[in-house]
Amino acid sequence: MATTASLVGVSAPAADHAPTKGLKTGALGLVSSIVIGVASTAPAYSLAASLGLVTAAVGLLAPSVMLLAFIPMLFIAAAYFYLNRVDPDCGTTFTWVTRAIGPKTGWMAGWGILITDLVVMPSLAQIAGQYTFLLFGANGAANNRFWVGFLGVIWIIVMTAICVIGIELSARTQVGLLGAEIVILAIFAAVALAKVYGSHIAHSLRPTLGWLNPLHISSTGALAGAILTAVFIYWGWDTAVTVNEEAKDTKRTPGVAAVLSTLVLLGIYVIVSIAAQAFHGAGFLTANSNDVLNALSHDVFGSGWDKFLVLAVLTSASASTQTTILPAARSALSMSVHKAIPRRFGTIHPRFLTPAYATSWFGVLSIVWFVGLSILSNEVLLDSILALGFGIAFYYAMTGYACVIYYRRLLMKSLKNLVFVGLAPLVGALILTWAFLDSIFVYSNPANAAGDQVWFHFVKFNVHIVGIHFYADGLGPPLIIGLGLLIIGLPLMLAWMIRHREFFRHTAERAESLHDAAPPLTPGAPVVTD
Amino acid sequence: MAGDIVLGFDGSAGAKSALEVAVTLARAFDVTLAIVFGYEPNPMGGETSDYQYQLKLLGEGFVNAAAAEARLVDPALDVEPLVVGLRPVDALIETAAEREARLIVVGSHGELPLVGTILGSVPHKLLHHARIPVLVVPRPD
Repeated sequence: MATTASLVGVSAPAADHAPTKGLKTGALGLVSSIVIGVASTAPAYSLAASLGLVTAAVGLLAPSVMLLAFIPMLFIAAAYFYLNRVDPDCGTTFTWVTRAIGPKTGWMAGWGILITDLVVMPSLAQIAGQYTFLLFGANGAANNRFWVGFLGVIWIIVMTAICVIGIELSARTQVGLLGAEIVILAIFAAVALAKVYGSHIAHSLRPTLGWLNPLHISSTGALAGAILTAVFIYWGWDTAVTVNEEAKDTKRTPGVAAVLSTLVLLGIYVIVSIAAQAFHGAGFLTANSNDVLNALSHDVFGSGWDKFLVLAVLTSASASTQTTILPAARSALSMSVHKAIPRRFGTIHPRFLTPAYATSWFGVLSIVWFVGLSILSNEVLLDSILALGFGIAFYYAMTGYACVIYYRRLLMKSLKNLVFVGLAPLVGALILTWAFLDSIFVYSNPANAAGDQVWFHFVKFNVHIVGIHFYADGLGPPLIIGLGLLIIGLPLMLAWMIRHREFFRHTAERAESLHDAAPPLTPGAPVVTD
Repeated sequence: MAGDIVLGFDGSAGAKSALEVAVTLARAFDVTLAIVFGYEPNPMGGETSDYQYQLKLLGEGFVNAAAAEARLVDPALDVEPLVVGLRPVDALIETAAEREARLIVVGSHGELPLVGTILGSVPHKLLHHARIPVLVVPRPD
């Protein structure tokens, strides 16, 4: 026992018979929390999926977008920190919004988490399928929609099975894989920059400070779209904020871990995006947006060594798949425990001890969604990432608002409260709300749509209301996916509400303290194992 | 207490066989039988509170039923049902160390060694890590 590097600090066995909610047993140290936070965000996969899309929107100003998108995310981290402190429920935003605003809004926030987790799966499967072929030099298959789809489906099945059975890597293995991912990205950036300064590379550019200045971005529409793309790359650290904490430092570790992991991420993203666009220019990244890191890696490292970066993307995608499936199942479990969705979704498998029913459902839906999107969409990656931006912006903004509303009585108690519990979450939520709304206008205009596909041709309008130009001639897939899946939640909620009133009888609460655990939202529900 | 027998119990067929053997041994030695269910959610993937709570309820159901069965055999037997928030192997080793137990009893699922390796076989890990004797009871055919 002493020699196994368990992720868990050694805590005394707690023979806890009192049915208390928010029981703290599995505990994480600060370093492990940071590791898991960064792993959840999956930097190599995030860059592989989104770098080309960001340069498509803002060209050489991509690094500035990486910086700018960090600001709302940091502000929302504050909301996670303070809400998790009094209510560490695995429903996270679902539970908090239910408390702060009310059950209907809370239900929609929970729905937002579930569909966002679902929408990311095609991009993960796509990247995993493609980079697996690239790893073995099967470049033809890597660009074949059928074979990438085939391998992607197998990937989802395997990852879902791992989560259902509950197979875990040891802490040491996880830290090793993550460390390798970061080291490879760092070496990649260093080699790329060294070559840019040391030798003549086609289309290479010397980095300038101007790349970091978001004020140079030409239009607010481009900015909103770029931010919506970039929030995706920081998405996942909410996992770090909400990870369980060691009993002796109960209320602190997750927040500190979230801030530190975000700083690590910020460094990676800014430096790698600078190095990547310095090497061949932004146009190269945009042109190769489907497999941007592979394309660059080949030129930066040369044959053979370039596979390390491909491998880093794959381990990153596997970590990210796991940190998507697990929280999705746990959010469903929490919603089920609070009687917001059918009880079966909270079922625990008696042998594997995992929420197997919800997990399996999520796997099946992911496959259906991935296969459907692969058939319908020309640009699975592009459509998924942009649609994801809508989902993430929605539920992160809800988290920010929930924090301000829940703690409204305490904001004026001190300047610190006002700034960290009030202003920061509010400003973060407002920025994300703006990016969300402005992107609707941007993407409803086919001239601005990032892809070339139009789905809903019947949506046509061209009006000016109070000086704003509303124009649509058919809608692009990202808008339909991102907004459509959110809107589908409304009739589902109403259908559940009609027959099951209990959850919707909750009334909004407000916090009386920043430290004391909030009373349980729902008294302990019996466990279901069938 | 020193000399206790620690039984790992997860409600499976193997665990039920192990329960029978553990009860017999506890009576023979005239010591306390600690019936332990260990659980710990994967720390990847965020907050686990509700999930842990559900696991705790599940475990309590298991160990309480096992304790009731043991008392049915011998009402005088000292039985302690315990739910421990650690991985099953760690839960057993920690509980045994704390009580200075003489023996850990577990059931086996009777699966192929390869399956056990993938799923994480508790008896297998116990045999390597425990510092006191471990008794593995096969499940009935």
